[in-house]
This record gives sequence, structure tokens and C-alpha cells, in this order.
Amino acid sequence: MYLFSNATIYLGLALAVFSLLIITLGISTKNQKMVNSGKGGMLALLICASMAMLSLFYLLGTSQFQYEYVTDYTSSELPLIYKLTALWAGNAGSLLLWTFFLTLYAVMIAFSRKMKGNPMIPYISAILMANAVFFFIILAFVAKPFVLLDTIPAEGKGLNPMLQNPGMIIHPVTLYLGYVGLAVPFAFAMAALILKNADDFWIKMTRRWTIVAWLFLSLGNIFGGQWAYVELGWGGYWAWDPVENASFMPWLTATAFLHSVMIQERKNMLKVWNISLIIVSYALTLFGTFLVRSGVLTSVHAFSNSNLGLYFLIFMAIAVIGGLYVLMSRYNLLKRSAGEFQSLVSKESSFLVNNLLLVGAAFAVFWGTIFPLVSEAVRGTKVTVGLPFFNKVEAPILLSMMFVMAVCPMLAWQKSTVKNLRKNFLIPAILAVIAMALMIALGMHKAWAVIGYGIISLLLVTHFLEFYRGVKARRKMTKERPLVALYRLMIRNRRRYGGYLVHLGIAFIAMGIIGSQNYDVETMKTVPLGGSIELGDYRLNYERLDQKKEGINDIVYADVTVFKNGEKLGTYQPEKVFYGNWDQPSSEVAIISSVKEDLYIVLSAWEDDGKATFVVKINPMMNWLWIGSFMIVIGALFAIWNGKYGNVTPRYTGVRKEVA
Amino acid sequence: MKRKFYLAFLLIFILLQTSIIQVKAAEIDYKSAEFKAVASQFRCTCGCGQDHYECDPNTCSETKEFKKDLVDMMNKGWDKDKIRDYYVNIYGEEILTAPEKSGFSLTAWILPFAALGIAGAGLFFVIRKWVKRNGPEETAAVEQNIEEEVEDEILSSLIDEERKKYL
Repeated sequence: MYLFSNATIYLGLALAVFSLLIITLGISTKNQKMVNSGKGGMLALLICASMAMLSLFYLLGTSQFQYEYVTDYTSSELPLIYKLTALWAGNAGSLLLWTFFLTLYAVMIAFSRKMKGNPMIPYISAILMANAVFFFIILAFVAKPFVLLDTIPAEGKGLNPMLQNPGMIIHPVTLYLGYVGLAVPFAFAMAALILKNADDFWIKMTRRWTIVAWLFLSLGNIFGGQWAYVELGWGGYWAWDPVENASFMPWLTATAFLHSVMIQERKNMLKVWNISLIIVSYALTLFGTFLVRSGVLTSVHAFSNSNLGLYFLIFMAIAVIGGLYVLMSRYNLLKRSAGEFQSLVSKESSFLVNNLLLVGAAFAVFWGTIFPLVSEAVRGTKVTVGLPFFNKVEAPILLSMMFVMAVCPMLAWQKSTVKNLRKNFLIPAILAVIAMALMIALGMHKAWAVIGYGIISLLLVTHFLEFYRGVKARRKMTKERPLVALYRLMIRNRRRYGGYLVHLGIAFIAMGIIGSQNYDVETMKTVPLGGSIELGDYRLNYERLDQKKEGINDIVYADVTVFKNGEKLGTYQPEKVFYGNWDQPSSEVAIISSVKEDLYIVLSAWEDDGKATFVVKINPMMNWLWIGSFMIVIGALFAIWNGKYGNVTPRYTGVRKEVA
Repeated sequence: MKRKFYLAFLLIFILLQTSIIQVKAAEIDYKSAEFKAVASQFRCTCGCGQDHYECDPNTCSETKEFKKDLVDMMNKGWDKDKIRDYYVNIYGEEILTAPEKSGFSLTAWILPFAALGIAGAGLFFVIRKWVKRNGPEETAAVEQNIEEEVEDEILSSLIDEERKKYL
């Protein structure tokens, strides 16, 4: 097994190098046979990566403690699912997963039906293979997944209990799919530049892949937040930790790209900008990995510090310099076809403002993340840039972003006249103002919250009107029933209406964020047995404290009966878990969830006489966060689904075809 | 005698009062908004990566002491800025969860907005340039005579007919 598993890595490295070289050679000598051989190599590479994954799964699943990785991250009593998911608990395993996804994407593109006969394929393959070579070098020489120990320990060190949660099974997988996914648009961009051809086909394919990566990146962040919320017992979901920032930045720039590419599609403008956005997004994924794995910044996401980060930094530098070089060498070509704008107020310019804000937000996150390093370099003081900073700086930027999002669908392409503006905006604006007045009348006095919810109301109204007007226009012609008209309208404009669904999802998420950040109430109280805690409309009766054993873990739990406005909601059990093989205990919180708010109960401590300390928190509108997340997934899937109508990807009809 | 009695009464009353205040003061809820405003300014250095509001006093002895000190200061009537100054004097800016809004650290706060402002202004001028380049033809095209309008109507009805086929 040792030989086999290591062979998969070294053979993989050899195959990756082979494929890269033979494809490059094939391109330069215009030899289709060589390119085909390279494609075969990619397929073999995917098999190698899969075998490596399977071997590691097998070793973890059967608890072969002679392997360092298995010992470090699992123990024999761990449930099988967590034994397996320990694959991405450490450096080597998570990079293996990354590599696997990379080879998977590469093969999917190289053998894709849509891309058949496309001369971009060899270039894209070569660029992805260059990535694969890097990752296999890391796996073969730096973070080796299959290392044997000198002595075989009787028991493993166990998996960090924080990671033993369903959210942790899926969070890293989706996040890596997102990270790796951004390598694909990068490869497309480079291929297009080298071929001097960024046509409609290129835009469509790149956008599809960017949406895929974007969706996974969103999911990764959402699952991470959800995990933090239920598992960390802290009542929050986003801490602006460097690692979170690292995944948020490419998300912002990828979002910017998805919007600005529409200008390229319509007006043949912003080509340089779009390709820069792709390069930046891709570079940011590598930069994030560098931050996470190098330990230059303190983070709650504890990856063991190693020199791994340095390799990522070097690789990133190569990728960025290479990318910029190609961009510059084709600069004149791209610049030549710049189009025109007809008005300052138009959908086009709102897209540009959107880009400005998204990239600005990404820059603010970037600046805040690296500021400790800057400060240390400039004056020797390593300051902390934490939650208060990011909340204050990002809130106005992202809120303005929401405003643009609310307004944009109502603006006309080309030019919005005053008449057009009045017609489109009068009703939404009045409704939003009424909503804000209503909020103030109902006792909301926090300016940010009222403005935020006002903007969200505007967004909801404008998006509703978009759907309404679309349906109305359709019905005028077809006389269909409203729901049929809505359905047909949407499936014939998947991108547009999928995009609107995503907007609505973002609005719901924003509702959740604003509510839970501004109107959360919290208390920490020590009560005797039979005592009660009151918070808001809730009363919690502390009834019982007991202990139970689950496997090698001891669990202390309290029975708490919860009443809301005197009405009994039920009995809940917040727990504290003491692990057999881990020093730190962790809290299993009790969450009582409704559309209006979450009641979040943490058993914090207890004494011998039965007195217990609870942290109780009311988090308003938390569920909207998850509803919104769900909408984002639906919207994104809806947009990229291969429908029968409208969004047929054009067959390639490009310039020169030498090898494909 | 009566005066003495009143005096004694007053004294007892005052004593009682202060003890009541003390009891009340010692009971600052570690999870209350007022405590959050103070404690979330400071970073816990036990390695948990959290601030002193979030950090759990049951698992971290450092924050336990720190929280007590904070409560003492709050009971003395210090506001959050005074407490902040006190700690910054001792430990320097490193103890804060966000950089100060003065000195070099001010750049942390200002740069994102400055960059946005400059880029925004740049964007405005660029769009205006693009619009101007395109301007004159646009205004000339606005004038339309009746004949054209009729033609337009015919054309749009034709387009409508065509479009219906694809709905």
C-alpha cells in the first residue's frame, strides 16, 4: 500500500510534467498527435489523483496508524464518516483534494462536448497542467500525504472535535471546488489572450465556469459560517479572520467579473479589465492559501505552520507575472475595439459602479488583512485588524453595493432618460420610503439598520417589478396564465432571471446580517437548579444537570425548558462535551429557530451545588441568511442549467484552427 | 435627640444605598451591550484569536482576570475610551482589536475610502469622456418626422409578429 500510494503521487508528477511538455510541444509544432497524447496523459493523471485519494481514504478508514497523516488526524473510535473526512483536516490531505479537483476540472474541459474541436483546448490544458505540476511537486516533496512513522502508535491523536460536524464535511470540499474552479477561467483567459481571440464563445464558456466556481465559493463560505454558528458556541458566523477574508476577496472579484463581462458581451469593451479581474481572482485564491498555510498572520483556522505558504507565494508570483505579461503583450489588440457609452446614467455605467464597489470592497478587505504586516514593516508595531474595523469599513461599501443592485435592473441599457427614470423609480422609491418610515414608527432607531432595510425593500420592489413587467409583457402577446408566463419567461432568459434570484438571495442574506448584527441581545447568567433566566420574550427554566457518556466522550448537559410569552416551546439540552482525546471541551448549543429569530443557548459552566452558567442569545432573522443562501444556489444553478432555449452556447467559429 | 436619630437614619440609609449600588455594580452581565462596548475593544492574548468579549472566561484564565478588571473600572465610572487609553498606555496599540484612528494606523481606515473615491472620480471622467465622444450624433438622431414614426410602427409590429413565433 505504501508503495502504491506513493507511486500515485510520483507517477502523477511525471504524468503532469509529461502532459504539460507534450501539449506545449504539440502546440508549437502544430502536431495534433502530441496534443492527443497529452490529453491521454491528463486522463491518466486524473486516475492517479483518484487513486491517491482512494488510498488515503482507505488508510484513514481502516485506521492504519503507521501513516503519519492517519495518526495525526484520526483515532480508532472516530465514526467512519469523520475518519474519511479527516482527509481534508490537514495540509497534505487538503492539498491532495485540491489537486484531485484540479485534474478533474482539467479533464472535464479537455474532453467536454462543447469544447470539441476548439483550438483553445491545448492552451487551457497546458495552463491547467502547469498548475497540476505545481501541486504534484508540493505533494511529492513538501506536504507528503503518505509518510510512514518509525514506530507504529497504538492510537491516533484524533480529529479536532470542532471538525466533527456535518458542516465541516462539506465546507472544505465546496471551498476547494471554488478555489480550484477559479483556475479554469484563468486558463480560459490566458488561452484567449494567446490565441488573440476573446469572442462570444469565450465569454459564454468563461462565464459558465466562473459561475460554477463562484457558486462553490459562496457555498464554501456559507457552510463555513453555518458551521461556526452551530459549532463554536459564539453565536456569530463571520469573524473577518484572515482565512475568511482570503476566500471572500476572490468571491468579490469574481462577482465583479460576472457583471462586467456583460459589458464586454454587449459593447465589446472592458476586455483588459475583465481579464485582469480573472487574473486577480485566481491570484487571490493562491494568496489566500499562502496566508493560511504560512502562518504570517494569526488566524483561528489553525493549519500547522510550514514553509508551504512560501511555495504558494512563489507560484502566485509566477502566475501573476505570466498572466500580466500575456495581457500586456496583447494589450493593443484588446484595446483597439473599445466601444462607446451614450449616457452617464445607464445600465452600463451602473455595472461599472458595481465593479468599482466590489473591487473596492475587495481592496478594503485586502488592505485590512495585510495591514498588520504593513504596520509591522513600517513602524515595528504589529496591530490587530479585527472585526470592528471590517464591520465599519465594509458596511458602507457593501450597502452602497446593495443600492446599486436595487437600482440597476430598472435602468435602461444605453441611456436612461428622466422620464424613464421617473416611470421606473417613482413607485419603488415611494414604497421604500414608506417602509423606512414604518420601521422608524415601529421603534427601529438604528440609522444603519433603517437605511439597510430601506435599501433592501427597494431591491425587493424593483426585482418584483422586473418579474411583474416581464410576465405582463409576455401575457400581452401570448395570453398565457400568469404562472405559465412566469415559468416560460424565466426558462427562456435563464441568465437574467437566475441572476435576479441570486440578487434576492443576497438581499435575504443582507436582511439576516443586518438583523443579527444590530438587534442581537445576549446575557450570561448563573442560576441555581430550578432557577430561570429571562431575555426578551423568553423565559428559560433550568431544570436538571446531568452527565452521560458517548463513546470515549463525557457529555454534561442541562435540561432547559423554554417559554415564549408564557407559552411552552419545549425542553432543550445545551451540552458541553469533554473529549477522550482532546484537551479543549466544546459546546453543543441548543438553537430554537424561527423566521423571526433564533434563541441560542450555551451551557457555559456549572458548580458542584448544581448552579449553572448559561449564555443566552437572541439572534434576529438568522434564518433569512440560510434562506438567502438557498436562493443563491437555486439562482446560480438556474442560470447555468443547459436549457433548451436561448442560451445555446455557440459552436466555435474562431480564427485559426491548427491543433485542438 | 431627634436630630441625632435622623442623622443616624440618614447614615444607615446612605450605607445601605452604597451597598445596594455595589451589589448592582458587581453584577455587570458579561454579555450585555455595555460590557461588549468596552470589552470588544481588546484582544485576548491567550491565543484564542478572540476579543475579551467573546473569549470564554470558563476556559481562559486570562480573560477571566481581564474581565474582572474591566468591570472594576466600569464600576469606577470609567467610560470605554478612558479604559481604552489606560490599556493602550500599558500595552500599546497591539492590545486593540482594531487600529487606532490616529498616526500611521489612520491609513488603515482611510486608504480604502480614498482609493474608492479616486477610482470613482476616475470612473466618472472616463464615462463622461466616452459619452462625449459619442454625444453629437446622438442628439441629431432624436428628431424624427411623422413618416418615420409610421414606418417605425409598421416595423415594430412586424418584429412583434416574428417574436411571437419564438415565445
